[in-house]
Amino acid sequence: MEKRRVIDDYEPGPVPPQKPLDRFGFIKQDASSTPEGLAKSRLIVEYEREAIRVRKWRKMIGVGGNDWKHYARRKPHVVKRRIRKGIPDCLRGLVWQLISGSRDLLLLNPGVYEQLVIYETSASELDIIRDISRTFPSHVFFQQRHGPGQRSLYNVLKAYSVFDRDVGYVQGMGFLAGLLLLYMSEEDAFWLLVALLKGAIHAPMEGLYQVGLPLVQQYLFQFEQLVREHLPKLGAHFSHEMINPSMYASQWFITVFSYSLPFPLALRIWDVFLYEGVKIVFKVGLALLKYCHNDLLRCSSD
Amino acid sequence: MSYAYLFKYIIIGDTGVGKSCLLLQFTDKRFQPVHDLTIGVEFGARMITIENKPIKLQIWDTAGQESFRSITRSYYRGAAGALLVYDITRRETFNHLASWLEDARQHANANMTVMLIGNKCDLSHRRAVSTEEGEQFAKEHGLIFMEASAKTAQNVEEAFISTAEKIYKKIQDGVIDISNESYGIKIGHETHTTSSGGRDGTSSQAGSCCS
Repeated sequence: MEKRRVIDDYEPGPVPPQKPLDRFGFIKQDASSTPEGLAKSRLIVEYEREAIRVRKWRKMIGVGGNDWKHYARRKPHVVKRRIRKGIPDCLRGLVWQLISGSRDLLLLNPGVYEQLVIYETSASELDIIRDISRTFPSHVFFQQRHGPGQRSLYNVLKAYSVFDRDVGYVQGMGFLAGLLLLYMSEEDAFWLLVALLKGAIHAPMEGLYQVGLPLVQQYLFQFEQLVREHLPKLGAHFSHEMINPSMYASQWFITVFSYSLPFPLALRIWDVFLYEGVKIVFKVGLALLKYCHNDLLRCSSD
Repeated sequence: MSYAYLFKYIIIGDTGVGKSCLLLQFTDKRFQPVHDLTIGVEFGARMITIENKPIKLQIWDTAGQESFRSITRSYYRGAAGALLVYDITRRETFNHLASWLEDARQHANANMTVMLIGNKCDLSHRRAVSTEEGEQFAKEHGLIFMEASAKTAQNVEEAFISTAEKIYKKIQDGVIDISNESYGIKIGHETHTTSSGGRDGTSSQAGSCCS
């Protein structure tokens, strides 16, 4: 049984990071899962492979990402293949900004972020604050109440809610912003959010968060058709059990899988999603259903 | 797990009032002060016993933010019971009750049993809504009412179970047509009657579709 901690309020105070963390900064659920023995040699192989990959990537993007555009235009197929293999973690933040088009937005709008954070007020401030401690609560960066992680998250979300007052702040955006903040500065994370929602490279995603969540409704409808088409047995089973995608896939679209999947997996999805667009969310969603296909067929909705 | 009836519940109310915590306390008997925001909808389930009949509660926990209502509205249909939750320390969550009820009346079946819960009653020093006001609102709108605390577990069992008792009574009285699944009730294949007459649940599960 877990002992209930004595806390004055529902929100936790600062928690010293005494628990073991994984390589991404999340508190380990199960300490015994630390790779030992056999797995160690595999880790070394992976480490070496990663080092080779980093060298290739550095060459491809150039210093500070200067050669990126040229390379991407010349050899899009190589870029696509490499991204699907996973962007090296140490370059992820930079590459995400390059492939999403957010770096250009940042350069075009100097000082805008600072203005939004410092001088503007937002009607969503209280809503944002209420959700801050419920966004990646198991990550060391966001754990501490009023700590640097929570403050950055607040700033980015507040800035966005001012930048686009029609959208304001909608639950779920925090997971996007939180994921980005683990790989880049506040200002960079803000512009990447803008790039995604306003559609710098791919179709704008702001409809996911507008009143009535119109784009969520559209994607769920489309996803349902895709399930019927690609996984007809499961599609029929779902209709029989009165299961519709809004019950399991809303959060897939609203947070682009940053909400509930294991973090390393979410990162790989984001690598590909940022380069190839929202169709990746559909593809991953279908792949997940396919992966659990037979188990799902055996389940009934009660 | 076999059951005599399955009742579908939906938990609604403003964001941050403690809907997910109430569900977790009911299904897992624990309180988690730090937990993820609910995006879209989550599930929980637990068996209870009413008049020696095993009854399975399948509970849909929804996102509370206004924007999500377009999604959560679709869950009213097919719910036999609703827990409408507000936070006794935040007046505005009480003020929004009428609009939640209107949503429920519009999208749910007319026989849905609604339980009004004033949550966080452990924080009485920060109380912003009196018990009487809660009672009064419930009376005016024909709801059952309880103040509860997901943190201390006070009245959590009672809230979920007395809602079930009310639904059960409606079935007994023939108010609800149980052959119509849009009422949120399924008849199970009861293979055994439980031996104990206790109201306590016999097993619990949460967040899983396979039992």
